[in-house]
Amino acid sequence: MEKKVLVIGAGPAGLSATRELVNMDVDVILVEREACLGGTPKKLNYSLLFPELRPASEVIDPLIKVAKESPRVKKYVNSIIDSVKESEDGFEVSIKDKEQKVSTERVSAIIAASGFEHFDSRRKYEYGYGLIPNIYQISDIERMLSENKLVTTRGVPPKRVAILLCVGSRDATVGNTYCSRVCCAVSIKQAMEIKERVPDAIVHIYYMDIRTYGLMEDKLYWRSQLEHRVGYIRGRISEFMRGPNDTVIIKGEDTMNLNRALVVPYDMVILANGMELGLGSAQVAKVLGLRLEEHGFIKPLDPDRLPVVSQRKGVFLAGALTGPKTMSDSITEGQAAAMKAYEYVTKGIWEYEEIKVTAH
Amino acid sequence: MFELATVKLSLPEDPRYLDMSYAEQGPLPEEMRNLDQLSEKDRKLALEFYQSLASDFRYNEYLRGCLNCGVCTSSCPAAKFYDFGPREMIQYMMRGEYDKIYEFTNEKVWACVQCYTCSMRCPFNNEIAGLIMLLREYAVKFGLESAKQILAPYRRILLTVLTTGNQVTPDMIQPETFADWGPQALEESKNMDVYRKAIPVDLMQRTDIGWHASLQTAVELMTIMIEAGVIESLKNIDKDLYDMIIDIYEERKQFLEEIKEKYQKGELNEEELPDSWLDL
Repeated sequence: MEKKVLVIGAGPAGLSATRELVNMDVDVILVEREACLGGTPKKLNYSLLFPELRPASEVIDPLIKVAKESPRVKKYVNSIIDSVKESEDGFEVSIKDKEQKVSTERVSAIIAASGFEHFDSRRKYEYGYGLIPNIYQISDIERMLSENKLVTTRGVPPKRVAILLCVGSRDATVGNTYCSRVCCAVSIKQAMEIKERVPDAIVHIYYMDIRTYGLMEDKLYWRSQLEHRVGYIRGRISEFMRGPNDTVIIKGEDTMNLNRALVVPYDMVILANGMELGLGSAQVAKVLGLRLEEHGFIKPLDPDRLPVVSQRKGVFLAGALTGPKTMSDSITEGQAAAMKAYEYVTKGIWEYEEIKVTAH
Repeated sequence: MFELATVKLSLPEDPRYLDMSYAEQGPLPEEMRNLDQLSEKDRKLALEFYQSLASDFRYNEYLRGCLNCGVCTSSCPAAKFYDFGPREMIQYMMRGEYDKIYEFTNEKVWACVQCYTCSMRCPFNNEIAGLIMLLREYAVKFGLESAKQILAPYRRILLTVLTTGNQVTPDMIQPETFADWGPQALEESKNMDVYRKAIPVDLMQRTDIGWHASLQTAVELMTIMIEAGVIESLKNIDKDLYDMIIDIYEERKQFLEEIKEKYQKGELNEEELPDSWLDL
């Protein structure tokens, strides 16, 4: 009998899982909420990827091509999973599209790869995002950079730019006490891109800790200082004010010097907003009956040994719905989840019995 | 014979003095603030102060941790004008630097205006303004000199609040204690009672009260204050004020009891009651 696998979400993780499954001659049903494939990188039009500074399309387009062209992939765009029922050899899934048309598919396994959403900076109301002109999020800047429209509201390239890290991450006031992992690297990458386009611009990064972990340290943190003279100021900005001529005045503390307040105007301010599970993945978790962990992401069966296996038999996880991840992490997880799903649909391997997960 | 037991090793208090060049040149001016400058007596008091502070159950509830982000100090209205910052205090508390906490309490903690912006914005959910309140509370409890000085202009307010529940009364404008109120305050305070007599409302013609509180309410209020230990904590900071409040309390309580007694016997003659119990 033909085995089918349902992949929820056509982002880097879902597409890479799709590619691996197609390579192993497994039929794939790909469900995507948006109109186009590619996930958040395509939707928000990401510019360059850290740390290699290569265009995001270079990474994501080959994956999209496989999903689009392979005859083994059945695609449902503009669709969400409406309900999942257990049947004798897998799941009976009903998929609902925008016109409320429901179609039913029978699959043997499910890979959930519905990803994350960017933190909405309007929830940090003291930052005035959406109220004060010239305050952007890193997710907005990616589009401006890739469309080559990096200008302030006055229509000129910014001369003074401030980037504030940890917006919506490491912040108990909005309930997100985790680090989103990628925003430091993305912000430094954007600072270097801005410096390349506007060489005489002054770019300051306001940080608490710079977490360009692993091999990114010299490629981003050091290089941005060596080659681009990006300034690093230690301190978290507490509020923004609207200044004259559409400038933004920041209010912060230079924590390297005790009790020294900073009140500085900038042409453009970029908020490095973090990652959250988002409503799309929350809906997927609800339909699939998956439990969340304390940070609000989906809990894998065993975070150390089985990071891509879910709590429910036959459901696998890939990508940023189990925690903040880079694009390469997501692609790796998609491949891993594809392998696990293949084992499960061909040989019925499910490690749940062996793994004693201790609850704490 | 070399005896080990007689060799007494002692390390300098500040580990930076282990560096010989540092010991020679001494601390730089900007480092002076980080050095322990307390006298022996003060240090003992500082340790005692810190220990009783840390044993308060609120201390560990309010103090959680610090990312050193500076959101508290940068959103602090007092930090804009004074050499004061909540982050400094939290750092001393996280490190248990009792001498610094003592110095902070004496010199800086009174600059806070208790707006609670720091508490609201702290990403670690520290109750920073609560900690400041705790420091102030213990400063009063210990009768620290700084608390005495800072509370001196508020004696009159304390007296009215604690005895009548009234907060601000016209005769509180005392130019010598509120220098920042400007020369107008001096002018207005001179003939306050004359000006007020022109107001055609009975109550407004007085300068020592904002509104009438009943005798019973005032006595109840003072009883609560005494039972809660608020007035007791004044003892260390201002003995005169404490005595005054206790005197007033006893006098009014006695008068109230006399009235009650008469009322129960049915002998209460309303004409005998004073116009205002404040005229006592």
